[in-house]
This record gives sequence, C-alpha cells and structure tokens, in this order.
Amino acid sequence: MPPDIFYVEDDQDFAFIMQYAVKEVSEDLTVSIAEDGNAAIATLQRFAEEKHRPRLILLDLNLPGLSGLDVLKRIKEIPFFKYVPVILFSTSDDINDVRTSLEIGANAFLTKPSGYHNLILCVRSLYDFWFTQNRSIN
Amino acid sequence: MTISMNLNNVDLSNCDREPIHIPGKVQSHGFLLAVDSESLLITYASENTKDYIAVEAKNLLGKPYDNFEELAGLNIKSGQLLQMIHLGGVKKDFGSINPYPVQIDEADFYMIISASGKSFLIEFEAATLEYDIQNQIGKSVSEILGGKSLKSLLHNTAKEIRDIIHYDRVMIYKFLEDGHGEVIAEVKNDDLEPFYGLHYPASDIPKQARELYKLNYTRIIADVNTESAPILTLEIDEPLDLTHSVLRAVSPIHIQYLKNMGVESSFSISLIAHGELWGLIACHNYSPKFIDYKAREGSALIGKIVSSALEYREDEEHEQQSTSYQLAMSLISLHLTKDEDLVSALTGQEYTIKDIAGASGAAVLYDNEISTIGVTPNQQQLRELFDWLKFTMDDAIYYTHRLPEVFPSAKAYKEVGSGIIAAMVSKDMDEIVVWFRPEQITEIHWAGNPEKPVVLSENGLMNLSPRNSFETFSQQVENTALKWTKTEVSNVMKLREKIINTINKKAGEIRILNERLRRAYEELDTFSYTISHDLRTPLTSIKSYTELVIMSNKSLDEQGKNLLKRVVAGADKMNFLINEILKLARVGRAEVEFAELDMDKIVKDSAAEAIMAMKAQKVSLTFGELPSIMGSPVLISQIFSNLIGNAVKYSLVKEHPAVHIEGVKEEEEVVYKIQDNGIGIDIGHRDKVFELFKRMENVKDIEGTGVGLAIVKRIVEKHNARIWFESELEVGTIFYIAFKI
Repeated sequence: MPPDIFYVEDDQDFAFIMQYAVKEVSEDLTVSIAEDGNAAIATLQRFAEEKHRPRLILLDLNLPGLSGLDVLKRIKEIPFFKYVPVILFSTSDDINDVRTSLEIGANAFLTKPSGYHNLILCVRSLYDFWFTQNRSIN
Repeated sequence: MTISMNLNNVDLSNCDREPIHIPGKVQSHGFLLAVDSESLLITYASENTKDYIAVEAKNLLGKPYDNFEELAGLNIKSGQLLQMIHLGGVKKDFGSINPYPVQIDEADFYMIISASGKSFLIEFEAATLEYDIQNQIGKSVSEILGGKSLKSLLHNTAKEIRDIIHYDRVMIYKFLEDGHGEVIAEVKNDDLEPFYGLHYPASDIPKQARELYKLNYTRIIADVNTESAPILTLEIDEPLDLTHSVLRAVSPIHIQYLKNMGVESSFSISLIAHGELWGLIACHNYSPKFIDYKAREGSALIGKIVSSALEYREDEEHEQQSTSYQLAMSLISLHLTKDEDLVSALTGQEYTIKDIAGASGAAVLYDNEISTIGVTPNQQQLRELFDWLKFTMDDAIYYTHRLPEVFPSAKAYKEVGSGIIAAMVSKDMDEIVVWFRPEQITEIHWAGNPEKPVVLSENGLMNLSPRNSFETFSQQVENTALKWTKTEVSNVMKLREKIINTINKKAGEIRILNERLRRAYEELDTFSYTISHDLRTPLTSIKSYTELVIMSNKSLDEQGKNLLKRVVAGADKMNFLINEILKLARVGRAEVEFAELDMDKIVKDSAAEAIMAMKAQKVSLTFGELPSIMGSPVLISQIFSNLIGNAVKYSLVKEHPAVHIEGVKEEEEVVYKIQDNGIGIDIGHRDKVFELFKRMENVKDIEGTGVGLAIVKRIVEKHNARIWFESELEVGTIFYIAFKI
C-alpha cells in the first residue's frame, strides 16, 4: 500500500515530529519519509512501477545532493504522478525559490511552520483540503 | 726711420674692444726692449731708456742684443744678458730666470724676460728689496687658511696682504654672475671711506681686462700721474704684444678712473677658481707706490694659494650644502614610505621639505587643505597663488626668483616670497607644493650711478672720462630673491616623483582595502543569511519537541508544562530575531532593479498594514503628495513599512496619535517625510539610531529588535538615497529620505 503522504525530508527531527503530527490529525493517515532526493526518486519510481500513487507529496527545498527543485522536476517528468499534488515545504520563503518552484510545477509553496502546534495546524489544513474536500482529484 | 706707435683711437662706446695689450707705451718706472728671437737684434725700445742707461732708445734699435751691456754702459761683461735669453729660450720658460739682478749705476735692477710673438720682451725695473715676502709668506698663509669660513678666509687674505705690502686699502672684489663686482672684504687705513659692500658695474673692469687678469696674476700701476713712455721701433705695422709685459702702460680710461677715485697707484692679484676669474685682491694707494718684482711674485703666490683654498672652500661649502640637502631628502623619503600622513611626512618632521631646497618656507596643498612650514604668504594669498600656478604651469616644475614681476599679486608678500619653486603633484586633484624665498637684496649700493658711467667734462676729454662720481648710489633691487640652484631645482623634481609614488601607492592600498571590505561585506551577508537559516532548523526542533512533550506526555504536571512553555517562548523570540537578521542580510544580497514606483499605493498599503498589525486604528493617518520615485518595489515597501510602523508604534502611547506622510519633488531629489507626534528620539543618541540592535532608552517598554532602522538605512544606501531625521522628545519625530531623480 502506498502512503497517503510521501514526505522528502533530510532533517530527522522534523521527519520525526511530522510523523506525530500526522497521527495527531488522523490515526488512519499514513506518511512515508525519504531522507534525500535520490532515495525519494528511487522510491517514487518503484511506486510508479507498482502503480502505487501517494495522495500528496511534501518536498523540502534544502536537501543534500539532489535539491528539492531537482526532485520536483523529476517527479513532474513521471506521467504516473501527473495529478499528485506536490507541495514545496521549506524554512525559506525566498521569493526566487517560491517563483521557481511554482514555475516548475509545484502546486503550493508552504513555509515550514515553527513548532509542533503550528505543524499540526498545517497538516490538518492540508488534510482537510486535499484529502477531504477534494477527494475527487485523487 | 723711427716711428712712434700710435695710440689707437678709443672711445667709450667701443671700450670693450680697446686693444689694451698693445698700447705702444710702458709705464715709466722702468724701460723695455724687445729682441727678435732669430736675429737677436733689438727691434723695439721704450723712449725712456736715457732715464736709466747711457744710450738713447733710437740708438739701440737694430743693434745686436749681444752688445747691449756695452751700449748701455753697464759694468757687465758683454753677452751675459743674452745668455739669459738663450737659457730661458731653450727651456721655453723664463720663470726660473726672472728676475735677473742687474746693477745699473750702482743701483739694483731686475731684468725680466718674457716671450711676445717672435720677440722677447726684456724689461728693466728697480729692485727695491723692500718687502721680505719670502720670510713672511709662510706665516701669512697659515693665518689666511686659519679662517674656517669663506668669509674669514677672505678677510684674513686682505689683512695679510696689507700687512706684507702696506697699501692704504686692500679689498677683495668678487665678480658676480652678470659681471658686476662687489667688495666682500676690506682692510684699510682708518681715515678712508669704507668700500665694503659696494657694488661696481661690470663696465668698470671690461671683459678684455678680465681676460688679462687670467693671464697675468698681478698687475701694478705705480703712479697714475707719470707720463707713459712710447715704444719706438723700426718695424711698421707690427705692434708689439705687451700681454706679458710687467711695465705695460695702463689704459687712459683706467688711469682716469683711478684718478677720479683719488687713487694714485694700484696693485691687483687675480683670484682664479675653477679656471675662471673669481675676483681680485685689489690694493689701492693714495700716493705713488711701487713694489718690486719679487714682492709682486710673492703676492701672486699668496693669490694662488688663496685661489686654491677658495676653490676648496667653495666646493666644501657646496658639498656641505648638498650633504644636508641629501640628508633632508632621504629622511623625508623615509617618512613618505612609512608614515600614514603624507602632509606630516613633508612638513611635520625634524627635516621638512624646506630643507631640500634652501627655502625659508613651503606650502603644501593636499586634500584641499593648505599646510605650511616656515615663513609663507597667508592662506588667502596662497590660494590665489595656487590658482595662478594651476592656470600658468605647463610643466611639472616652475621656478622663478622674481615672482612679483610675473605675478603682480605677489608684490604684497615679496618679503617672504619673491622666489618660488612650484611642483605640481596633480592638477586634477589640486595637489601642489610650493617653496618660498624672501626678497634677497632690497638695496644695492653702487659705487657711483651705474646707469651713467660717463660724465661730460668741459675739456673735451669726454671719451676718456669713465666716471668721476663714486658717491654711493643706492638702487632698490626689488622683487628679487636668491636664484634657485640646479641642485635645488633637481631636488624638488626628485621629491615630486617621490610624493607621486607615495600617493599612487596609497591609492593602490586604499583600492585593495576597499575591495577587501566589499568582499568582507558580501561574505558577511552570505554568512548571516546561511547562519540564520541554519539556526532556524534546530530551533524549530527545540520548539517542536517541547510542544510535543507538553501535548503527549500525560505524566507532566502543571508546573512542568509551564516551564516547558517558557522554552517554547524563548525559541519563538529567537526565531523572531533570526528572521529580522535574515531580512537585513537579504537587503545586502539583493540586486536593486530600478523601476518607477507607484508610491501612492506603496505608502498607503504599508500604512494600512502597519495599522492592522498593531491594531492602531486610533492613529490618524494623513497623506500629502506622494510623487513616484525610482527603486526596487520590494525594498522601498520595506522602508515605508518600517518607518510608518515605527511612527505608528511610537505615537500610539499618545492620546491623539497622528502620522503624516508626504513627498516633495525638488530639483534633483524627491524628499519623503514620515512625521509622527510620538515619544521622540533623544538627540544624544542621534548617531546610534541606525545601528543594528540599538534601541533607545525611552522605548524599552515597546516591543522591537533594533533591526528595522538598520534595514532601512541599508536599503536607502542601496538606492544611493539619503536619510536623516529631526526629533524632539515627547513632541515627535520626522524622518526624511531623499531619493535621487
């Protein structure tokens, strides 16, 4: 089974907290984490072969090796994920980064919230929008 | 046929061409014969032989010299005197034979032989044996050379010469550059008027007379009142060259000159330095006076010794001068290379620029500041002089010893600056160094008016009357300083090069420093950006984990929860600060892309946002004209957000807070002002307002970080704009920003 959320994040702490936050929002919600760009691409290609499609991809911008924007480009090249929303998820809110990511095809750009509470709010909002209200997309 | 050689017609206008070496006459205190070097016959004889010997001059002509003793009735074996001619003729030098003692009627005479063309001159004059030069010369020379300076050397010379040959007045006369002479040492009888310090026009000792002084080291005029004896000859058209004659008659002009001075006899000794006639030891007597050949030779020897001492002393003084110049040059160069401050290297040290050129003062224009050392014109006069020099100078160096003649304004300060050397360091940068010399001789005392050397006399002797007035004539020589020497000018040139090198080196250093600073700034921006960014991640972890613990750990009591909430609050605060720094760093990194801005929108949006954020609806906002400017939309918005935010924030405590924003278009700028009636800024902290993390005493209860105005300032600088403010505590603050159009 594919995870509901595929999260690319090199920061283990953030990944750890994210798992708690996701469970806080909904016990049924699943998240799978890739620690760098190459691992993310490899996993996603495997998903594509197995016809497993996550419902949402969260992508950190600052990654070691392959950058978040590179990963975004590669994802957009895979037709199987054409309709999977990809959301850039970064501490930076640099205007240039935001613009570039949207140009490449990101569906949204979110500034990483600070703190557990804010993260829960953020994930809940994502969940409500992408999983509950726009069920038809997937 | 006997022909008397005619005196050439001479008038004053061609006085320089008067052939005084062939006057056809001899002074009558001796007699002269000339013998043909081949035939050894007597070819010339002075008319006055009968005064000394038993034969008429005309009866000697054509006779063999071999027979002279007999013809003259001398008590010497015939041919003996001819032997002397042979002896000297073989050696081509009569120095060792002269003077040859001869007895004429029990009286002592000297025979003096010299060469003249193809003849030998044979002159007889009295041997008085009056002055024992040989014995005195050693003592005199050591006295003379005892003087340490040139001045004392010359004074000692005059004194010793007078002690040896007892003339009424002994002077040292020095020829100056233009040929005129000055009396620079004098020893005389007490009753005589001093001539010391007087100047004599060049025409007093004409050029060809000066040439003769170089050939004959002494010259005696025994008695100006005796008639000269003409020289008789059988040779026509062959005037006898009397250059080396000791009896040579004196030019009538010079005789008259001496007579006009009241001098009855004179004696002079040439002083030669570096092959040139440096001057004369001139001896005057106010009655007839004759000193014999040996006394004259002794004096000539002293003259030679003094000449070589002069040469040495002058070289030495010159050497000393140039050594001290060199010392000054090398010390200044040293300071130029190691001192920070160029002007202090030039004017502030033990040796200053004025010491490299023997100047009494110097001025340096650098960085638009005038620094002076020694005696110089005042600042105003210097400015004018610099302007004139900038206008006039085509070369790097300009010098004159008569500045007031070419630049009339300089008359006002001729006492300090009649002579200048100017070195243009940079015309564009207004950098110039000028050396000053005072007016040197304000008065020359001429012995008689040099402009009127001829005074008509009634007896028609006008052309033979050089001057009969020696009354001191004072001439004002104005606006003239001592000339700059080649060494001084070349020192100035060298120093100019050194200054330019120093400036270039410093400019290079500043460029390098600037570049380094720029890079450091860039690195700092990158650094702050990166570090702030990297700091945020662990900070987020701290906050998240803490919140996670508070939420999920059921065993936590209330106190534990409260403590952990403080951790979260601390993290929030730190996060806020990091964000502020990030904003500042981002301004530094941003490239400004200028666009025309709709200021009405930017200002009003910023204001609305500030009111919203601070829930400050009670603030009354007013706007004047908001003309558009050029700038980066994001950055300019940031300026107004910050400044309007501050205005709102710091006036909110007032009962009727009011903020007013307007822009005024001026000639080259648009000046925006943001005015509030808030708590104001203490003027004492004026300088700190724009510094990072600086907050004023009166705002410690109001939230803020001290980053906002630092950001504003950086943005303003990025736009090449200016920002300043006016403020009064508890009355309000106005910030102004002037944007270039």
